[in-house]
Amino acid sequence: MQTYYPTITTLKASEVRRYAGLSPQTDFSEQMLQTAMREAILLIHPQGTWNTYPYDEASHIIYTPDPVTLEGKNIQKFLTGAVQVAILAVTISTTLEEEVTRLFADNSYTAALLLDAAGTAAVEQTADELCRIIRHQSSAAGLVSGNRFSPGYGDWNILSQKEILPLSGGPALGITLTAASMLVPRKSVTAIVGLYPTQAQSYPLDTNHLSCQHCNQNSCLARKETTNHDKDF
Amino acid sequence: MIKIFDGGLGTMLQAAGLPPGYCPELWTLENPEALAEIHRQYVLAGANIITTNTFGANRIKLSHYNLQDKVALLNASAVKTARSACGPNTQVAGSVGPTGKFIAPLGDQSFETTFDVYYEQAQCLDACGVDMIIIETIIDIQEMRAALLAAKAATTKPIICQFSFGADGRTVTGTDPVTAAITLSSLGAHVIGANCSLGPEQLLEVVSKIAQTTNLPVSIQPNAGMPRLENGRTIFPMTPEQMAEWAPKLVEAGAAYIGACCGSTPAHIKAVRDTLQNCGYLTNPPFRTQLTIPTALTSRTNTVYLGANFPTVVIGERINPTGRKALAADLRAKDFTSIKKEALAQIQAGAQILDVNMGVPGIDQADTMKQAVETLSMLVAAPLSIDTTDPSALEAGLRYYPGRALINSLTAEPKRLEQFLPLAKKYGAAIICLPVTGAGLPSTPAEKIEAVQTIIDAARQTGLNDADFVLDALVLTLAANPDAGKGILETLRLYREHFGFPATMGLSNVSYGLPRRELINASFCCMCLAAGLDAPILNPYDTSMQDALAASAVILGQDVGSKNYIQKQAPKEALPQTTTAPIQSDPLEAIRQTVINGEKESIIPLVKAALEAGYSPLEITDKALTAAMNEVGTAFGAGRCYLPQVMLAAETMRAAFVTIKETLPSHSVKSLGTVLLATVEGDIHDLGKNIVAALMENNGFYVIDLGKDVPPQTILKATTKYKPDIVGLCALMTTTLPALDETIAVLRAAKSTAQIIVGGAVLTPEYAQQAGADAYAADGIQAVNIAKALTAK
Repeated sequence: MQTYYPTITTLKASEVRRYAGLSPQTDFSEQMLQTAMREAILLIHPQGTWNTYPYDEASHIIYTPDPVTLEGKNIQKFLTGAVQVAILAVTISTTLEEEVTRLFADNSYTAALLLDAAGTAAVEQTADELCRIIRHQSSAAGLVSGNRFSPGYGDWNILSQKEILPLSGGPALGITLTAASMLVPRKSVTAIVGLYPTQAQSYPLDTNHLSCQHCNQNSCLARKETTNHDKDF
Repeated sequence: MIKIFDGGLGTMLQAAGLPPGYCPELWTLENPEALAEIHRQYVLAGANIITTNTFGANRIKLSHYNLQDKVALLNASAVKTARSACGPNTQVAGSVGPTGKFIAPLGDQSFETTFDVYYEQAQCLDACGVDMIIIETIIDIQEMRAALLAAKAATTKPIICQFSFGADGRTVTGTDPVTAAITLSSLGAHVIGANCSLGPEQLLEVVSKIAQTTNLPVSIQPNAGMPRLENGRTIFPMTPEQMAEWAPKLVEAGAAYIGACCGSTPAHIKAVRDTLQNCGYLTNPPFRTQLTIPTALTSRTNTVYLGANFPTVVIGERINPTGRKALAADLRAKDFTSIKKEALAQIQAGAQILDVNMGVPGIDQADTMKQAVETLSMLVAAPLSIDTTDPSALEAGLRYYPGRALINSLTAEPKRLEQFLPLAKKYGAAIICLPVTGAGLPSTPAEKIEAVQTIIDAARQTGLNDADFVLDALVLTLAANPDAGKGILETLRLYREHFGFPATMGLSNVSYGLPRRELINASFCCMCLAAGLDAPILNPYDTSMQDALAASAVILGQDVGSKNYIQKQAPKEALPQTTTAPIQSDPLEAIRQTVINGEKESIIPLVKAALEAGYSPLEITDKALTAAMNEVGTAFGAGRCYLPQVMLAAETMRAAFVTIKETLPSHSVKSLGTVLLATVEGDIHDLGKNIVAALMENNGFYVIDLGKDVPPQTILKATTKYKPDIVGLCALMTTTLPALDETIAVLRAAKSTAQIIVGGAVLTPEYAQQAGADAYAADGIQAVNIAKALTAK
C-alpha cells in the first residue's frame, strides 16, 4: 500500500459548472469560473491510496483478513462478474474547504460556491487518476477494471463507510470518519472498483441503471440531465 | 542487423515449478538448472541476447520477501546462470525492473533512495559481467531517469531503456513515447524502447513514434497479446505464428531489437526470428533515415520544440525574486504559494516554458530549487528553464526535474563552462549560450558570434550536440546603447546564418529608461521575430506583447488560417446587459436590472445616484432590490436561472445595502425578522446552510449563523437568547436525521415560539412533517419565500 499524489494541472470546466448547479447551456462568467478553477489548483493537495482484495460475486464477500459481506442490491449487481475489488480513498485535504468557509464569511458567496464546485471536481478527478493506475496494474493480471462505486450510491448504505474506509487505506492519508459516517476532510471519496476477467460476459456492465435519472435525490445540485451517453458511474 | 531478445521468463518459471508468491530470484538461486534450461531454450530458439532473472532483484522489491540484504547474491547467481547457458555469440543483458513505488513528488519514495537502490543493483550486474543493462517495464519517467543515471554512474556498458505504455499511449504517470524518447536520448540512453502492457499491434505506433524522434536504436518486446483471466490464471492469447506476423511490421516501423514479454515462449522467439530471416530483414533491415534532431524541451507529459521551423515559444520570466521583496520573503519562508500563482498565471497568459530563478541571498538555493521544480512539475505541463549561476542549484534543478530542462545560461567564461557543461551533459539539458566573456560585454555582433562559438566548441568537446544549443542575442538598453536595437537584429541574422540554432533573449531590457516601455518592447519583439528570434524571454502578462506575438504569428505564417488571432480578437465574454441595453432613465429600474444581472461593481454608483436624486432607502429597497430578488427567485424556481447567478444577485444586493448604510449611516434597515441557522449535530457539511444564510441576509432578514455540527442544546440556548422568528435546520445525510429530530423535540419541549424550517439533501416534505417542522424548503430560495410568508403572518 502506498500513497499516490496525482498531478492535476487543469480541471474539467464542464464538471465544475455541473457541481455549481449550472446547466450546460447557461451563460455564466467564464472569468469567475476560470478564477475558481485556478484557485482550486493552487489549494488542492490531491492524494490517494488503495488496496486490492479477492472477491466472490456469488456470496458478495470481500476476502480481506476479516471478510466483509457487501449488502445492497445496487453494489452487488455492480460487482457481478468481479473476481477482485480495489478499494480506494482519495482526498484533496482541507485547504480548499477552509478557503470556501473564509469566502462565505467574507460575503463572497459566488466565489465560494464556485470554488466548492471546483473542489468537488478536483476530488473526483483525483479518484479518476487513481482508477487509471488501478486499471493499468490490473490489466497486467488479465483483469479489466470497471467504474467506481461509493458508499451511499444507490442502496449501498452510507454506514458501510465504517468498513470501507479502513479497507481502502484512507486513514494513512489522514482521512477519518465522523460518528455520522461523514468523511473528513469533506472533499474525500472512498470507492470500490470491480476487477473483472476480460472474457467475462458481464463486462462491460450496463450501468444505465445507476445514472442520475434513477437516483432519488431529485434536488441534488449536480443532477445530470438525461443523455444517451449518461454513464455516471 | 536485427538483434533478437529472449521472451518472457515469468510464465516459463511458473511452468518450471516456481510457486505462486515465491520470490522468483530466490527460487532460481535454489534451482539454477531450471533457469539455465529456460535460457538455453531461448538461445536455441535464436535469441542473440538473453535477459537475467533479476527483474525484481532490487533492495525495495526484495524487501517484500525480507531478502533486501541479498541483492549482490541474487544478482550474481542470476548472471552466472545466464552465462552458463550462453552460446558462443550470445550476449547477456542485466535486467533492472521497477521498484514498485511512486517517486516523489508522485509518491513518498525519494529520488535519491531510488537512485541508490538502482545504483546498488547496476553495480552488481556490472561487476558480474553482463554485456549491457536493460531497464525495463518502467511506468514513470522519473523512475527511468533515476535508473538511467544510476546505471550510468555504475557502468560504461550500453544501457537499454524500455517503458511500459498503456492503451492510451502514455505511461501510467502520463509520459508519451515522443517525450520519453527526447528526455532519455539526451540523458544518455543507448537504446530506447517499450515492453509489456500491450501486444505487438498496440505497440507498433509506439515504435514508430520513438523511431521518428531519435536516431538511437529502438527496442520492442511486446506481450503475447492482451491478457485475459481464465480459471484464475492470466493467459496471453497470441500464438507464436500470430506474434511473428507482426515482426516485419515492427522492424519497418524502426525496431532494431525485438523480443517478447509476458506470455511468450521460446516458440514465439523462434517464430519471430524465422519470419525475419525469411523476409530478409534479419540481416538486411530497411534503411532508417538519419533524422535531424530539432531542439526540444520536455516536461513529464509534454514536448516543446524550439527553432525556425516551429512556432514562437514564449519563455515566462516572472518566477524571479530579483527586485521583488515579497517573493523573496516567501522563498525565505519556504512558501511556494506565490511561485505557484505566477506559474499558473504565466501559462494562462501564453507562456510555454517557465524560467525558474530562486536567487535569494542567504537561502539554501539548491534545496529551494529542488522544491521549486518538483512543485512546478505537479502544477504545470510546461518545461522549465533553470536560471541560476550557482552550480549546486543548477544540479538540483536538473536532477529533480522529470524532464529535459533548459539551462539559463552558459557564458564563455572559463569558470562557468567548467562548472556548468559537465552538468548539462550529465543531465541531458539544453543550454542557452550567452555571449559574455571574461573580458566584459561584447559590443558588436561579430564579438557575440565569437563568444558563442567558444561556448559551442567547449560544449561539443563535453559531448553536447546541435540539438542542445539555444543562442542568446544579449539585449542591452537602447537608452544607453543607441545601436543596441540594430545590433540585435544583425546578431539574430548572423545566428541564423552561422549556426541555425534557436535564438532567445530577454526582451524587456531594451526599453529601460524610456517612456511607454510596452510600446518599445512590443515593436522590438516584432522586429526580432522577423530577424530570427524563436523563444523570447518576457513578461507574458504584458498585453501589448501578447498582441504583438499574436499578430506576428499571423504575419510569419505560424497561425494557420489566423484562427488563434481571430479568436483572440473576438469580444471578451458578453458584456453585461445594462451597458449594451439602452441606458435606463429610471434609476430604480436600472438598479433592479443590475441586481438581476449580478453586476456587483455597477450597483454602487447606481445606488449612490438614486440616493442623491432623492429616492428613499425604503423605495430603493422595496421597488428595486426586493423586486429584483423576487424576480431572481422566481426565475430560479422556474429553472430559468441557476444558483451561481442567484449568488451573484445576492452579492449585488449586499453591495447595495452596504452602499445605503455607508451613505446614510443613520438609516436603519427594517428587518423582516430574525433567522437562526445551523447544520445539526454530527453533520459537517455547510454549503447549503451558507447559501441559505446569504439569501436570507440579502432578502431583509437578520441572520444568526451557528455554524455546523451544532448540538441541540446549543441551538436551544441561542433560540432562548435571540428569540428568532425562524429557526432553520440543515441536515445532509440520513445518519444525521436523528439529530434533526432531537433538535426539533428540544425546541418544542422548551415551548419555543420560533417557526422551524428544515432543509438539506436528505430531507423531504413528508419527513419534515412527521418530524414536527413547520415547513420544508427544497432550496435557499424556497427557504426565503417560506420565511417571508411565515413572518408576514
